[in-house]
Amino acid sequence: MVTKEEIQNIAKLMRIDIENTDEYFERVQKVLSYFDILDKADIEGEEIPVQEISIENLREDQYAPFNDKLIQQLKNYKGIYIRAPKMN
Amino acid sequence: MSLAISAIDYINGIKNGSITAEEFIAKTLDHIKKQEPKLHAFLSINEDAIEQARQIDKKIKSGQKVGAFYGMPISIKDNICIKGGKTTCASKMLQNYTSPYDATVVSNLKSQDAILIGKTNLDEFAMGVATEFSAFGPSRNPWNVDYVPGGSSGGSAVSVAGLESILSLGSDTGGSVRNPASFCSIVGLKPTYGLVSRYGLISYSNSIEQIGPMGRKVEDVALLLNHIAGKDPYDPTTLTSPTPDYLSGIDVGISGKKIGIIKEMSSGAGLDKTVESVFRNAMSAFEKLGAKIEEVSLDMVQYTVATYYVLTTAEAGSNLSRYDNLRYGYELDSEGYEFKSYISKARRNFGPEVTRRMILGGFVPSAGFAGKYLLKALKVKNKLKKQIQSAFTKFDYLISPTVPVLPFRFGEKIDDPLAMYLADINTVTANLTGVPAISIPYEIRNGLPVGVQIHANILQEKQLLQAGYALQNTTEIPEINL
Repeated sequence: MVTKEEIQNIAKLMRIDIENTDEYFERVQKVLSYFDILDKADIEGEEIPVQEISIENLREDQYAPFNDKLIQQLKNYKGIYIRAPKMN
Repeated sequence: MSLAISAIDYINGIKNGSITAEEFIAKTLDHIKKQEPKLHAFLSINEDAIEQARQIDKKIKSGQKVGAFYGMPISIKDNICIKGGKTTCASKMLQNYTSPYDATVVSNLKSQDAILIGKTNLDEFAMGVATEFSAFGPSRNPWNVDYVPGGSSGGSAVSVAGLESILSLGSDTGGSVRNPASFCSIVGLKPTYGLVSRYGLISYSNSIEQIGPMGRKVEDVALLLNHIAGKDPYDPTTLTSPTPDYLSGIDVGISGKKIGIIKEMSSGAGLDKTVESVFRNAMSAFEKLGAKIEEVSLDMVQYTVATYYVLTTAEAGSNLSRYDNLRYGYELDSEGYEFKSYISKARRNFGPEVTRRMILGGFVPSAGFAGKYLLKALKVKNKLKKQIQSAFTKFDYLISPTVPVLPFRFGEKIDDPLAMYLADINTVTANLTGVPAISIPYEIRNGLPVGVQIHANILQEKQLLQAGYALQNTTEIPEINL
């Protein structure tokens, strides 16, 4: 059984700050225990599929002008700067 | 002029001059205005629709070349971008987000003279089966407004079933087109992974999701698929194979075809008795059409709900990490916050289901747990793919009820995520294996719709639509009372 502390730690790493902690953890824990059903699956010797896209199938790496002023849609955009919270 | 006409009849009506695009759009907008307080299918309405219809009528009158949709109203799920308009994903996080470009499917429809009548409601970021997780309130099932319309493309299904649009585009990650199609008694198709471009669809779980067409008739869905399928240089996962005309020969029938009934989806304790009885009727209809029916077991299906939620939450956790309120978001001054606490605070704008799935999505691939969850899920996915491929060596089609339960009342499952997740058991297999699947409305029992699901092998949409068309003609759905 996954503990509340383990779930709490993951939430913190995901930068999720939640109220009603208990309710969240109960439900997350319930879903995680349901995932235990995977332990019963007979998947001995199965490989892990990967999604392959060959490099020839990518579009050409070309400059395409985009005229809209996308940057002005940013939050807290001033002059030529974006205001972000302090790093520490 | 009835709003209940099919896409094909609309086009014929325009061609023979019995209707004009402007009349039809005006009537549609009027109907939307009357129905929306009750149904809430839309999050925004195209204010220029009438003017666009006039332009198309002008083109028709002057004998200019007109696109295939002739001004037909088509609604678009609000996680697909239309340039200059809002794309909210039914989330407070994107409440003020304006799309800077058109999704490829949207440019395709625009170039064929469709009128994009409005953006439809969904569960926040397409996570849910009832639209109850929309930050802007749920949509209501037009067959009975006390019941959920299904989800996550619930608004799309309601708009089509409620005659507010002829066609709609939804997106299907684990059944989000087929589930609401079944609950609202319309047709919904999840195409082969890679058949339709996802460029401009806001990502939830890239490795399995597809945009899918929805309509009241199988032939309408075929018409819409004709104009959205195909290779797109902006989506490297789109397939290069040529796409056929899905509409021609749709009526060839399915005599002599072999149909497998997926045992794990069509029996057992989780299957509602009414749904089972409707499904039995559909089975006999298939037999009368000359198909041979046999049961087939795909034993990995019992692990698919867990597999689906492990894989999609892991991808969602990564996809949704872009919502840090610096690039997208709402007014929240960064003054007084340090970086991490600012982002955590900003993410409080996600609703409870999205937050839960982000936590799960952080958990399942994390060091120490990946072996238990993520890697196992990937292996189940691999084995399931082999099982379905092996079934398709024996069968042309695989069938099941679309959803094992009837539409439910609002609030009935919202506090039990597990009960809600289990409603996906019949739909997630098509996503995990990449094969196409369609939901066909089959009966209305006690006022509630029941749909039947048909799967075909990769890129067999043409054959899939033929089977859907044949089945559609064995039943008559009563007219909806709005």
